[in-house]
Amino acid sequence: MSDILKVENLCFGYTPQSAILKNFNFEIERGSFVCIAGPNGVGKTTLLNLLCGLLSPEEGYIEVDTAPIDSYSVKKLAQKIAVVRQEFVPVFDFTVKETVSMARTPYLGRLGFETKPDINIVKEALQITDTAQFASRTLANLSGGERQRVFIARAFAQDTPILLLDEPTSLLDLKHQVAIYDLLKTAQRQKGKTIVAVTHDINLAAQYCEKVLLLGADRSYRAGSTENVFSTEQIEKTFGVKTFTGRVGREKFFIPLGKFAKDCPQISKNLNSEKQK
Amino acid sequence: MTETLTSKKLAITFFFCLIALVAVMALCAVVGTQKVSLAKAFSGPADTPGKNIDYEILIGVRLPRVILAALVGAALACCGVVLQAVLRNPLADPYILGISSGAGLGAIIAVLSGLTWSFWGGSPIAVFAFIGALITVWLVWCIGYLAGAGKSQVTTLLLAGVVVNAFFAAVIMFLTSIAKSDQVHSTIFWLMGNITEKSQSVLWVSAACIIAGIMTLFTICHRLNVLTFGQDQAKALGVDTAATQITAFALAAFITAIAVSLSGLIGFVGLIVPHAVRLVFGPDHRRLLPVSAMIGGAFLVVADTIARTIVAPAQLPVGVITAIAGGPFFLILLAKYSRKVSWLK
Repeated sequence: MSDILKVENLCFGYTPQSAILKNFNFEIERGSFVCIAGPNGVGKTTLLNLLCGLLSPEEGYIEVDTAPIDSYSVKKLAQKIAVVRQEFVPVFDFTVKETVSMARTPYLGRLGFETKPDINIVKEALQITDTAQFASRTLANLSGGERQRVFIARAFAQDTPILLLDEPTSLLDLKHQVAIYDLLKTAQRQKGKTIVAVTHDINLAAQYCEKVLLLGADRSYRAGSTENVFSTEQIEKTFGVKTFTGRVGREKFFIPLGKFAKDCPQISKNLNSEKQK
Repeated sequence: MTETLTSKKLAITFFFCLIALVAVMALCAVVGTQKVSLAKAFSGPADTPGKNIDYEILIGVRLPRVILAALVGAALACCGVVLQAVLRNPLADPYILGISSGAGLGAIIAVLSGLTWSFWGGSPIAVFAFIGALITVWLVWCIGYLAGAGKSQVTTLLLAGVVVNAFFAAVIMFLTSIAKSDQVHSTIFWLMGNITEKSQSVLWVSAACIIAGIMTLFTICHRLNVLTFGQDQAKALGVDTAATQITAFALAAFITAIAVSLSGLIGFVGLIVPHAVRLVFGPDHRRLLPVSAMIGGAFLVVADTIARTIVAPAQLPVGVITAIAGGPFFLILLAKYSRKVSWLK
């Protein structure tokens, strides 16, 4: 399958003295689900901002759908990449439908009115994300999970082949986290979208993503399949935390082991059995 | 489900608001201390001046004044809408970027210099206020741009506006304190906002500039909607944020400077009209801007009619009326709609 995002020798730093990202090289296949993980402050969001054209690389090259990223106008790039930021409440009270309709901005004419196809795309995005039921409510009157679903609906309505998400589930409870990832996986499978999500939740990433880009605090990174990159040793090395790694069927899961983990008999038992092996 | 705003729906809303504005203007033109006979007034001008007094009062004096009030009201309301959106600040008004102090300083310099010439029908006060307002906005923009490390940061712009406003206010106070009492009176009256008769050429040129400016602002309204979500989100949705901001600031400054040079500093219109319209019609700028123009125009026409009739034969500065009437009116709206609106909670 062809690559939709390609990064070569990417370097970036907010000041000349401190480079956050050094010599990054990776490709993202069309239609894949990739996560960017790593500890705080290693440059995950910075990398996402570089991929969506919000920041320009100091050195290196980013290619979006076979063309250099800087060859796109802001409008054309918005027809290729949609971005979902962390949960957010706007200053003025736009309704859910008005917010999702804004996704059509890169396609609108001079006066900025939606055409019939635009309206249909918005309607479909509201239905897919199950947000049509509160389309007339304002964003401020929604829960965090509902609001995040609205922003994902807006990204779907933008009708782009690439979807970038910055910690889309950081403020959500377990049920809503799973619901959001289910939604993204469905979009990947049914619409062939390429999804790149920054996340701290390695369990959800292991379950939903095929590939991972794991950024380390020492400015190193590893790219590969989640199965290979998410190993007990690599997680410990990257995050500086011991984890218990288990499996349920084919799904891998990680339990971080803090100072008091030995007090939990179940984990102690598992740890002992792992040591014996 | 809420319905999508189409050009047809907007045209219908705009048409009804326009009819309301014209009705208010017609009604207010008839109201005054001197009663006029409509039949006589519409019979046309007499051969000799002073013969058809009804025509001269209605068509020659009141109608231009009503048109001027509508223009200034529309201009201030639209600039309030645009600046609240670009600065993402519900407290923004047309004077937030230092226009009030710049225009005030220009006006007091004109008064103190004792100039009596007229430029294309505009008094020295109007001309100096216009130039002062534009120079100040340019100064604020440069300070904001330099302080924001080469980017037009909203916070640095706001702070630059506050600093320049404060500094110029101090200079105005100094100049007022050394001025003669009659000069001070005319300056203060101007600073309070005052709609007075203007020459035909000033009225029509200003009307053309304000209407063209508002129509240009309308073309960026869909981008303003997205910009209220912040620059990052707007860029991700394909909006050239720098170009949109510069267009919005430049046009808002230009329109406000014209309004200020026509009528002095009229407060409240640019702040409360956008909020009142937003509370009733929603925050979509494609509807908010044209409806605010109509409502802002109607509001100032009514306020000016009250200002010229309530203590007749004397006249109050219209700024006094907008502040007195606008405050309670806004409180009523606030009480009615506050439950619906997040930033009021």
